[in-house]
Amino acid sequence: MAGPKGTSVSSQQKGKAGSSSVPAIQAAVDSLWKSYNDTTSPRLKLIDAFLVFIMLTGAAQFLYCILVTNYPFNAFLAGFASSIGQFVLTASLRSQVNPENREQFKDVSPERAFADFAFGSIVLHFFVFNFLG
Amino acid sequence: MRSILAVTALLAAFANAAKLGISSGHVTISSSDKTLLQSESISIEKPLKAPLELNSKDVLKLSFNVVEKTKKGDDGSAAQPHQTFLRFYDEVSGEEGIQPLRVTSSGKAKFELNMAKPPPSLPPTPAVSNSTHALDKPNPLTVSLILGSFTHEPLHARLFDLVLPASQPAPSHPEEASFHSLPEIKHTFRPDPTSPPKIISMIGAGVVLAPWVVLLGLWAAIPQSLPFLSSPSVLVFTALLGAFEGLLLWYWVALKLGQVLAYGAILGIATAAAGNRALSMLASARTKGM
Repeated sequence: MAGPKGTSVSSQQKGKAGSSSVPAIQAAVDSLWKSYNDTTSPRLKLIDAFLVFIMLTGAAQFLYCILVTNYPFNAFLAGFASSIGQFVLTASLRSQVNPENREQFKDVSPERAFADFAFGSIVLHFFVFNFLG
Repeated sequence: MRSILAVTALLAAFANAAKLGISSGHVTISSSDKTLLQSESISIEKPLKAPLELNSKDVLKLSFNVVEKTKKGDDGSAAQPHQTFLRFYDEVSGEEGIQPLRVTSSGKAKFELNMAKPPPSLPPTPAVSNSTHALDKPNPLTVSLILGSFTHEPLHARLFDLVLPASQPAPSHPEEASFHSLPEIKHTFRPDPTSPPKIISMIGAGVVLAPWVVLLGLWAAIPQSLPFLSSPSVLVFTALLGAFEGLLLWYWVALKLGQVLAYGAILGIATAAAGNRALSMLASARTKGM
């Protein structure tokens, strides 16, 4: 019969969508990770690993400041600012080096991007060491 | 120069100036109906010991002659000083009143004090509570004579004590209370901040340095498909970048700003040259490979 069949199919579908939300999210994350792994070149993965490292370091510093003490406040500011600044520089390097963004960065070659990144990093480190005290 | 000469001349004149004194000094107190209550003779050498008392309607009369004193101390000729004052002074409260007197050219002086119409030169004599007396009486006033003259030595001598009837107290200024010092402010400052115990600091440092392990692990896991051009130019460039970081660490520890800027400028030129060479080589390799 069309009625019960239709309802049973629709209820089955509804059941899949409604009650199995956790496996659905799990499946989405897995497919995202798989596509990232397949489509990203190893060079970009190097930069991505560096970005993850910077994020973890910044988060660890921030947690220490909140939970334990902010006594040498200038030291916290210097360290946290170095994390933020380095993250920004690395993210801009990644977007400029990515071959898929070639149309947007026509007059900036990847080597020029890396030179900018190195120069910016050194200036950032100089200011951070100044403030570290 | 001329003022110094004038002052020395004045001092020399005073050194040889004559002294002043009074003779035939006399004070009487009579009541309002002219009956004589008290009569004393006064002199500078022997001031009266017992204080004179006036009631609210009595009259005090004072008369004396101003004379020059000879070198032996005897009374000489009459003198008319340029300034003659009678000073009423309350030693306890510090109030004083000055009454100018007129001396004739023959040295005679007279003064009448009628308590029914007191002169404005009297100081206030408020009643002072005294446990030994039944009545509250004001403090006695010291009456002294002040003589000033250009040609004689000055004179300030006590004559007698005087107890006047009680008067209103001296008026106080409405704002006097605000002219005294306020109580001292005691600040309590927050204690200085201190570092947490070493263990916690060590743990914190470990937590912050742990992502290095994560980074090295991730880098090891990535399949190394990129031909790390370990050619000399790239190595030199990388080494110079590392040297720059080393310079910054050295600046953090020991160097001064001027020194690090100087060394940094030199290193920067070298790094820029090496980087130019290395990166252009990489770029040509990339375009050739594409």
